[in-house]
Amino acid sequence: MIADHLFFACINILLAWSVYVVLLSGNLSFAQGAFMALGCYCAGVLTVKFNFSLFPAVLLAGGFSSLVALAVGYPTVKLKGIYLILVTLGLTVCVRVLLENFKFIGGVGGFGGMTGADLSSVLIAVFIFGVLLYWFSRGSLQRVCDTVREDELVAASLGIDVVATKLLTFAVGAFIAGIAGALYGHYMNFVRPENFDVLLSIYVVLYVVLGGVNNMWGPVLGALIMTLLPEYFRILAEWRPSIFGLSILLILLVRPNGILRFRLPTLKDKGSFPHE
Amino acid sequence: MNDSKKQKLLAIENLAKNFGGIHAIKSFNLDVFSGDLIGIIGPNGAGKTALLNTITGFYRASSGKITFNETEITHHPIHKIALLGMGRTFQNIRLFKRMSVLENVMVARKNYFENPIQYFFNRAQHLEQLDQSMDCLSMLKLADKANQSAASLSYGDARRLEIARALAGVPKILLLDEPAAGMNETETKQLIEDIQIIRSKVDSIVLIEHDMNLIRTLSDRVVAMDFGQKICEGSAQDVLSHPEVMSAYLGVDEGEGNLS
Amino acid sequence: MFIGQVLNGLVNGAMYSLVALGFTLIIGVLDKLNFTHPEIFMFGGFVGIVSMTYLPVPWALIVSFLVGGTLGLITEWIAFRRFKTSDSKITAALSSMALGLVFTDCVQKYWGTEPVSLPALPAWLEKNVLIAGVEFPYLNFFILGVTCVLMIALHSLIHKTRMGRHIRAVAESPINASLLGIDVKRVSQVVFFISSGLAAEAGFLLSLRSASANSEIGLTFGLKALAIMAIGGLGDMRGAMLGGLLIGIIEACLFVFGLGRWVEMTVWVVVIVTMMIKPSGLFSTRLRLMEARA
Repeated sequence: MIADHLFFACINILLAWSVYVVLLSGNLSFAQGAFMALGCYCAGVLTVKFNFSLFPAVLLAGGFSSLVALAVGYPTVKLKGIYLILVTLGLTVCVRVLLENFKFIGGVGGFGGMTGADLSSVLIAVFIFGVLLYWFSRGSLQRVCDTVREDELVAASLGIDVVATKLLTFAVGAFIAGIAGALYGHYMNFVRPENFDVLLSIYVVLYVVLGGVNNMWGPVLGALIMTLLPEYFRILAEWRPSIFGLSILLILLVRPNGILRFRLPTLKDKGSFPHE
Repeated sequence: MNDSKKQKLLAIENLAKNFGGIHAIKSFNLDVFSGDLIGIIGPNGAGKTALLNTITGFYRASSGKITFNETEITHHPIHKIALLGMGRTFQNIRLFKRMSVLENVMVARKNYFENPIQYFFNRAQHLEQLDQSMDCLSMLKLADKANQSAASLSYGDARRLEIARALAGVPKILLLDEPAAGMNETETKQLIEDIQIIRSKVDSIVLIEHDMNLIRTLSDRVVAMDFGQKICEGSAQDVLSHPEVMSAYLGVDEGEGNLS
Repeated sequence: MFIGQVLNGLVNGAMYSLVALGFTLIIGVLDKLNFTHPEIFMFGGFVGIVSMTYLPVPWALIVSFLVGGTLGLITEWIAFRRFKTSDSKITAALSSMALGLVFTDCVQKYWGTEPVSLPALPAWLEKNVLIAGVEFPYLNFFILGVTCVLMIALHSLIHKTRMGRHIRAVAESPINASLLGIDVKRVSQVVFFISSGLAAEAGFLLSLRSASANSEIGLTFGLKALAIMAIGGLGDMRGAMLGGLLIGIIEACLFVFGLGRWVEMTVWVVVIVTMMIKPSGLFSTRLRLMEARA
């Protein structure tokens, strides 16, 4: 049981990170459901139909998701605010409908037979991505993303390719979501397209909002709280959506300046560029 | 400097920019040679900032041609133009407030996409960047404030940081939009000195300003604009006493008053 | 049966339009994205269930509108009152999303997650109408009729009343409006009331049609209305109406040609394509500042 909870918590951490990465360059993406689904099905097809082993399948699934992200992303990342939200939501719906309509992968009925993922594999994934994110946050790409987020035009005037930056974060976010999806599928053994719908995308974004967007740990916190706490407090589990919603409301009311004003701590803390 | 050897750095031909029915720039022509410091003056609404924005790619030219260093940049995206060697500042200060002074400059230094992996791992390169950024800061007398938050700077310092940041990319041409706006006399004097030092680091400077003293002291050539057009061009002395220029600014008749 | 399907499509489209109108009203006037809107739409159906148990249908209609409007007021108070600065538009949208979650959960706790049947429709609604030798359910016309009435009422309100003038003024510029002495807060409440009332009404009408109320439709049907709003142009009421009808008809056509499986996806494909080609919306009659503000 505990293994189960931890597993889902880790998956949610990965998903929350995937939203976070895209948010780094200033875009709020509700498409993680789509990328998770793509990753899951891709890996599933590879292992079940083509007898790949788990590890390469998962990686390829991640890669597949990012490729789709790049393809769709090019016109998408140039959109802002509400438009981006709409298009990414639309993406989630479209992917789901597409998956439901392909008999090859089971259609609405679902796709099964995926095995091989267990708690250790997802823990490894979390660890690896955690390290990568940490490394990244101390590096220069982080600063580039900060500038893009803070003032796109000025960033461009400094030579930063804003579209490329946004595409990059979009693709990386999709990669992480794809991997999460692949691992999820191979743990659950059986999935249906409706597992990866709009509600999931919304939840994942809300994890990040709940936990805070100032750094990479906020999403972890949000994911952990919403996944683990309900398991240990019955009442939370029963009223999970409401409690979730109310907590978000509370958090947002307390910080009415909005989440897009978040910035990574650059000064007081450790730091930006490791000064000597 | 030998005139005949001067390279034409920036060539603007018949540039026009319309917004719906508004002609912000009409048929503008200008040549900037290597080593020039050109001042652009004109009343508010003359189109000076619009010109700067169009040159740097913030606005898309409606017609005309802009050539920079032998490359046509008329419809290039902003970052490409910047990478070709243009640095600019803004009329209202647009610093990255949440970053430190040093970081504002550091982030301007490099094209991260040139070689991100190498940059990620290469410590020496990072240190070199650090040095060069500190150099930019020192040039503008901001070195001692390197680790301060950009938001905490005084107005004059903030304007100077903008210039330092624009310099960080080692531009061939530096475009300054009213760098002395809001500065008092002392600060302006300091700015004039700083710009004279900066001249040795960049090829050319194009300077939009209202402060006539600054224009007169620094410019090789002055261009006066009104209603989106160039009304005259020449030495500071000539332009500032040109009747059309005076009427544009002051609404005076010929012979009355003198801007210089 | 082609006509029958098209009629169905029109009816669907009418309901899409109602919900989209509400969305667009809030965005156009108040520049806010109300994600609780789809859930109020969903709730309308359940209000219908309760009210139809005790009241005749016309009264139930009114009750749905009123309850929806009240929920709208609550939404405005909880999720939007605090977030006034432009930076917090996204925050407001997110908090309305959160509120929507709470609504849905409460509904599901009380009524369960399965669709709940409506009490029997009165006889006069169950009839069929004979037109050109083909039988059509009277209900469809009823719904279309109610929708028309509502839209005309809305149009009149906006263009012919004092409050309507205030609303239009706030839509242009809240700051200028308040400088002119218009109570922006009051306008905001009115707009939320109307828009949510419309949404609940649409939800009620939908539940009449399917003879049941479903707690899941918020995120499917309701979110589609959001997409339709974008297709028609954010803040553009005519666009919302036309967009809704267009999508309704397209979906009907898909059914007719046997492509029913892709119906769910239609609106989203259209919105994605629209965003690429003309982000200001297909039908927008004026250049909104939305893109700049977004």
